[in-house]
Amino acid sequence: MFMKNRGFRAGKLLVLIFLCFSVLLPLFTLFFHIDGEDISKVIHSPQFAPMLINSLITTTLATIFSVSLAFALAWFMNRTNLRYRSIFTVLFTLPMLIPSISHGMGLVLLFGDNGLISNLLHMKFYLYGYNGIILGSILYSFPVAFLMLCDTFQYEDYTTYEAATVLGLSKKQQFLTITLPNVKGPLISVIFSVFTMIFTDYGVPLVVGGKSMTLPVYMYREVIGLLDFSKGAIIGILLLIPAFIAFIIDFKNDNKGNSSTVTRNYVITPNRKRDRIAYIICIATVVFISLPIITFAILSFVKQYPTDMSFSLDNVVQAFDLGVRMYLKNALAIALLTSILGVCLTYFTAFITARSHHSFSNMALHLISMISLAIPGVVLGLSYVLFYKGSLLYGGLSILVLVNITHFFANPYLLAYNSLQQFHSNLEDISATMGISKLRMLKDVYIPCTQATIIEMFSYIFVNCMVTISAVSFLANFRNMPLSLLIPQFDSQSLIEATAFISIVILSVNLVMKLIIYLLKRSLQKEK
Amino acid sequence: MEVLKDAKLIVKDLYKNFDGKDILKHISFAVKEGEFLSVLGPSGCGKTTLLRILIGLEKQDDGEILLDAQDISHLKPSERGMGIIFQNYALFPNMSVLENVEYALKLRADLKQNSRKIALSTLEAIGMLDQIDKRPSQLSGGQQQRVAIARTLALNPKIILLDEPISALDVSMREVMKKELKDIQKKFNSTMIFITHEQEEAFYLSDRIMVMSEGNIEQIDTPRNIYEHPANDYIKDFVIAHLDSKLASLCVCTGKNVYEK
Repeated sequence: MFMKNRGFRAGKLLVLIFLCFSVLLPLFTLFFHIDGEDISKVIHSPQFAPMLINSLITTTLATIFSVSLAFALAWFMNRTNLRYRSIFTVLFTLPMLIPSISHGMGLVLLFGDNGLISNLLHMKFYLYGYNGIILGSILYSFPVAFLMLCDTFQYEDYTTYEAATVLGLSKKQQFLTITLPNVKGPLISVIFSVFTMIFTDYGVPLVVGGKSMTLPVYMYREVIGLLDFSKGAIIGILLLIPAFIAFIIDFKNDNKGNSSTVTRNYVITPNRKRDRIAYIICIATVVFISLPIITFAILSFVKQYPTDMSFSLDNVVQAFDLGVRMYLKNALAIALLTSILGVCLTYFTAFITARSHHSFSNMALHLISMISLAIPGVVLGLSYVLFYKGSLLYGGLSILVLVNITHFFANPYLLAYNSLQQFHSNLEDISATMGISKLRMLKDVYIPCTQATIIEMFSYIFVNCMVTISAVSFLANFRNMPLSLLIPQFDSQSLIEATAFISIVILSVNLVMKLIIYLLKRSLQKEK
Repeated sequence: MEVLKDAKLIVKDLYKNFDGKDILKHISFAVKEGEFLSVLGPSGCGKTTLLRILIGLEKQDDGEILLDAQDISHLKPSERGMGIIFQNYALFPNMSVLENVEYALKLRADLKQNSRKIALSTLEAIGMLDQIDKRPSQLSGGQQQRVAIARTLALNPKIILLDEPISALDVSMREVMKKELKDIQKKFNSTMIFITHEQEEAFYLSDRIMVMSEGNIEQIDTPRNIYEHPANDYIKDFVIAHLDSKLASLCVCTGKNVYEK
């Protein structure tokens, strides 16, 4: 095809340049920054082996529990006659709306030495160490696994189950021979994503790890505390390994093209016993999730925990005195800018790769766009420090926006890519023969047709920007810091009530955003 | 090549290779003004590639395409003065029937001012005037196809290419659309090149049929001549035998001799 689409080509070039500067060059810098001597120093240091073991054990156990819980909940939401399923689904995803470190804080407030439940029951829980890390990591990661698995269950074809019933297969046999093979691919993806999430998170173990140091906490302390970038980079590369394996497995899975079509939606048979068990587990999970959040709310509005539990706005006033207003403004500015620019960039990139002919440059673009899935936030943050230090961008809001766009690039990109691929390729042929340019098609056809996806992309980036403490942590300073990073800072100063209040503020902002998105989507649906 | 005096389109020695495989093997033919030419062949014979090359969506490796005696090989698809209609209609899903037809008109400097008038009159001619506010998703397959035809006709192309446009419809609708297509062609006196793998469609609609197999033209002639004087065994097997067996089964099940009637 030899159409002239200058604007489109210029856009494509700009995206390629952007991805070079936002992904490839910083990553190369990270690799080149490693000092050979430091590798052996880090590996042979006495803390290294225990650190690695701590990370591996806690991550493995937390992944098993988290994915199992998510699997059960996703199954309950799609295969039982539970009432209020949509409310349950919303509640299960609440933990995604607060930073990982807040989950650690929540556990401390509940089960710590002076925790609400510890005091209430006069019991001592052994929270600090493996218990705390595992519990916090489950809270932090299961909503992601839950959403991914819900998606899988939704797209199961019922006709296979009908055929199995006709052949006389029991429910148990059907589960083993139909359901499990159907979800195997997605389940492997989920396991790896959850493993990576937990393995690279420093928020939870920083607060509840106690003496059990993990790799990301070590990296955080080396970089933030000691400014030792080389050692940080070595750990960063270690953290890249599982993420990279996950990425490759996912990519292979995708290429297999598991595109079963749903000819008939699943029909749920009545079964009271099954539904009762589902109710018990779902309600227990809701309690487990909401306890920390309720605690944050209580702590934010009492005089002095645990001695004086009377209502007071002292903590709120104190938090504002310590700069919450300014950091909230920063957070909102970063989240809004990242969402707007991120949506534009990811959508346009997806438009290029999904709506034009397969070419080497398009495949490269697709791969680079997805690669951010394989770069843990802390590693990306560190590579930005190394690459951008001394540049004009460094130290301002723009570097935080840039790093967040890159960090959260892959998911909205894939959302847009999948949406845009659903249009038949003949639309391009028709527009070419009628003299309609690609950019015009984008503006007049594709964007109006995919508004719901665009809103979803915006919401994903916004919420993640509000809760992230990873990529931004090494790049932020007292001026440009977003609100979420105030939590580790206040935690180190033992300002417990203030951290609780910040978690509540972040949760509220995200809830408001989610509500707006919900209303927007509903009005779109009504229009249709 | 038989050179037609009043040829609208002349294709000379067209050659195309994909991944080492010859898709079109130096084929030549011509189409007259106002003619309905069917390109008939099984899947993989190169007919769709031919269509895409004619309109400029693919580039030939060799050969010439002359429209009104002008070489159009180097022109962009939108500059060739041709329109195309696909099996899946390819309507713009977010636009109403009227907007679908009017959209491309509005982007053309020469048609912009009268775009609404042209769109409405084309839709009227095609019998879709009462549906202009509906979205494509609210229309039946046949109605969507009519809108796709109107959208192409409105731009007043010199030649309309149709890529199996009625194969996606259900059987009863196909019969209706076949008749309508013929009526539209007469009404607008359009030159049409119609791609199909269905022998009956080609025989019903065409002034002439071009039978293709494996990148070659096996025969190009009127339906009657092809039926009465098949050029080779391929035509006998693929075209004549197929039509005869259909006819024979019709005779058996109705008990009538259709030939006599």
